[in-house]
Amino acid sequence: MSRMRVVRASLLRLLGTFAGSRRERELAEELESHLQLHIDDNIHAGMPPAEARRQALLTFGAMEAIKEQHRDRGGVPVLRHIGQDLRFAARLLRKAPGFSVTAIATIALAVGVNAAIFSILNAAALQSLPVPEGDRLATLAISFDGEGRRGVHGAPSMLSYPEYEAVRDQSRAFEGTLAFSPFNAVTLGGIEPRSVLATLASCNYFDVLRIRTSVGRGLNRGDCASGAPATVVLSDRLWRTAFAADPAVAGRTVLLNRSPFVVVGVTEAAFTGTQLVPEDLYVPVTLQQTIARDADWLAGANMSWLVVMGRIKPGASLASVQTDLGMIAARLTTTETPGRTVHLTAGRSTLSTMPEIRTIVLAIGSVILAAVALVLLMACANIANLLLARASARRREIAVRMALGAGRGRIVQQLMTESLLLAAIGGVGGFIAACWTSRTVVRFLLNHLPPGAWPMVFDPRPDWRVALYAVGLTTLTGLAFGLMPALQSTRRDLGLDFRDVTATDRRASRKLQNTLVTVQVAVCLILLLSAGLLARGLYRAQTLDPGISMKDVTIVSYDLANAGYKEPTAAALQRQVRERLGAIPGVRAVAQSSAMPLSDQHTETEFHFPGTDRRRHFEFSSVTPSYFDLLHIPIVRGRNFTAAEVESEAALIVTESTARRIWPGLEPLGQVLTLDRIDRPVVGVVRDAQVSRLGRTDEPYVFLPAGPDSQMRVQFLVAGIGAAPSAAPIRSVIASLDPQLAVDITRLEDNLEQWRAPSRLVAALSATLAILALVLACTGVFGTVAYTVSRRVREIGIRVALGAAHRDVLRLIVRQGMRPVVIGMAIGLLGAAAVSTVLANMLFGVSPHDPFSFVALPAVLFAIALLACYVPARRALRVEPTTALRTE
Amino acid sequence: MHDDKAEVWQGTLALMVLKTLETLGPLHGYGVARRIEQTSGDRLSVNYGTIYPALLKLEQEGYIASDWGVSENNRRAKFYRLTRAGRRQVEREARDWARTTAILARFLAPEEGSS
Repeated sequence: MSRMRVVRASLLRLLGTFAGSRRERELAEELESHLQLHIDDNIHAGMPPAEARRQALLTFGAMEAIKEQHRDRGGVPVLRHIGQDLRFAARLLRKAPGFSVTAIATIALAVGVNAAIFSILNAAALQSLPVPEGDRLATLAISFDGEGRRGVHGAPSMLSYPEYEAVRDQSRAFEGTLAFSPFNAVTLGGIEPRSVLATLASCNYFDVLRIRTSVGRGLNRGDCASGAPATVVLSDRLWRTAFAADPAVAGRTVLLNRSPFVVVGVTEAAFTGTQLVPEDLYVPVTLQQTIARDADWLAGANMSWLVVMGRIKPGASLASVQTDLGMIAARLTTTETPGRTVHLTAGRSTLSTMPEIRTIVLAIGSVILAAVALVLLMACANIANLLLARASARRREIAVRMALGAGRGRIVQQLMTESLLLAAIGGVGGFIAACWTSRTVVRFLLNHLPPGAWPMVFDPRPDWRVALYAVGLTTLTGLAFGLMPALQSTRRDLGLDFRDVTATDRRASRKLQNTLVTVQVAVCLILLLSAGLLARGLYRAQTLDPGISMKDVTIVSYDLANAGYKEPTAAALQRQVRERLGAIPGVRAVAQSSAMPLSDQHTETEFHFPGTDRRRHFEFSSVTPSYFDLLHIPIVRGRNFTAAEVESEAALIVTESTARRIWPGLEPLGQVLTLDRIDRPVVGVVRDAQVSRLGRTDEPYVFLPAGPDSQMRVQFLVAGIGAAPSAAPIRSVIASLDPQLAVDITRLEDNLEQWRAPSRLVAALSATLAILALVLACTGVFGTVAYTVSRRVREIGIRVALGAAHRDVLRLIVRQGMRPVVIGMAIGLLGAAAVSTVLANMLFGVSPHDPFSFVALPAVLFAIALLACYVPARRALRVEPTTALRTE
Repeated sequence: MHDDKAEVWQGTLALMVLKTLETLGPLHGYGVARRIEQTSGDRLSVNYGTIYPALLKLEQEGYIASDWGVSENNRRAKFYRLTRAGRRQVEREARDWARTTAILARFLAPEEGSS
């Protein structure tokens, strides 16, 4: 038979599988006509009609068996059985809605959470960049074998400009190679000054990425020519927020760090750069020195500062790119710093291609993914438990079907179809939920970033990878929770004395179930306690007195280095700002500080103890004398800085705990620490205040006077009377002195939010997981006890018939059901005690072993588990002893 | 074991069906079964029903086609007829079969000379 015939027949059979009742009717008709023809012949041959019919039927053979053979040949038997099984499974699931809903909801939740987390990770680390044909972009990383130092501005895997030129000019696998330096904070002037993120881009940047402009043009070769006028391309976001979407913006001149640049275009709205943080504007990389004045990075061959990306030629593979780069790296090895080998590697461009970012994203991602996978595993264990309990209730049905001749394989197939149907319904629900929630969650997170963080653009588009992940997970889930119960419930051989076999089986499976419950309870308790502790910490953070007066204080900051100031000019400007701010009506006090209270600015330096070898790192801040009064931090010993000390910066004020810890039992006043070869005596001691970290007062902290030499790096604190000073008069004061400074004005109280936001997020995450775990653990306990009870109905019946009190039987069952719970709780408590020390940072003074949480939450868990035990146990007692005795 | 036998039976049955249709022209399933039984001289006693899965297989392979029609004694019945591919298949199969039986006959025959 030719191959064509086989294909044709297979296709027809495949189609026939779905032909349904029409084929069935036609077959019945044909066989009926066959019989009639035969009967006619028999009658013709002289038989009486009844005998004629009997003979015809006899000769025909087993009618139903022939029909079944015909059906098998007409379709694909396996498919047909699957269809039957699916219909049967659907009917069963409809008949047990409680079980079905529990199982489906559990799977949907577990698969949903997993797919959501994966879709976020997918968008960050796996999806190619959202630009035309982004899958043909590769990002380069450089590394070295051997000795030698290298300058870094950005990340060590970045390239220098000469290295970029080498790749651009020598590569044969790339059709275009671009380079850029991301995240350069610059002051945008010429309009209301503001701080923006600039990308220093090679002039083929937009061509290689294939980004169009909505206004004007992108950068081109001419912009990078020497002597060309300075040009800039704006991002859509900046164009809308700072230029009111002015369609005639091209041709306007703006100031970047005080140098004039001509706007030539605006990028299309969809493009936000190639990193997680969106870029605001793009300037030619050749103008690096105009942006960062004191550094010449372009010439340095040994300086990491450029991200290099190439567009792979159509048809070329990443492997050919790698070969290509190997040759370029070999050439670079001969020209660069002797004694070390250069390696160039390329990876598909994603939002986190740079090895440094990728490591972080993958590390965090895999921890979270592991956590949610654990939840999925718990869910599987649960449903397996439920199925076991159900299978014991269906033992009669299965036994009957096996006795009627169904093979074990056929029954396992049918049970697995049920499991997979459950998994599939749950999986689809979970996937839909994931598509919806991951976007909502990410949007929520991005909208609730701590103030001061750069805004991030991040859209977890679910794609085929996420779908594949969900399908894979769902199938695995179905197999995981379905296979064991299916095999176990069909294991009985009718011929054996199976009572003994099941007895050992029972013990083994109960052990397995108990272990599952123990693990669930332990994990649940850890999550529950973490969430509880974080919630307590959060409450404390809301009500905590940081020991400083944060009300009615405004922070005023600007970058003097970007604005081209040097120490003497800065000192002169700051003195004037100080005076004029103080003169604004309603201002109570003005102070300067290099690190704002409770901000993310932490400066640390090493002080020497004169006359010894001892040295120690201290966190410090340079402040003006008015600082302590403004924040209501009392000086408990000694005095404030004098005018002379401010001028020389040769004095220190320390906190009480610093004095206590560094000079225990000694008089702190007059003690000396050396910094930059200048001896600085302690002149005062202030009360402990949480100026650095919320909820922490006992870390050493020292204050230096903010003199003329510190003026480049100090910001202003302005306190008002009854209300925080408003922004407008402050801006006008500074604009009157220097109209091109980008001034940032925030409220000091907002800094508290930076501390509360992360713990709020972690608390929300662990609470969600904890509730999920609680539900799972409870259904787990419930399922196990229900199963045990269903297997022991006979035993219970005998006990009751022999006169056991209900209370005793109840106690027996509950005690057995609670044993794994109690073991799990013990493990969970130990685990939580270990984990909670990690959380100490976010607890704001709540002890990581907070007695309230460690007693109350386990008690709640215990009570719920007890209930989960009691309900099925109670049900067993309601069964009539006579019925119970007959069940087994 | 059982399956092997069935397979051989299936193969020969298919050829018998095709040959019957070639000889007698369009015929219903009962007629085919009957004819095979008669031709085999009642030595091949087999249930008539087994013909139907075989007919379906041949139809799926495109060697035969079927239409509803009316029998000589005015009964509605499904008539099977040989297609062009079927005609070629009969020739081929018959040739193969003849060759196979010839080989087997030689194989099974008592060795010349020794006896």
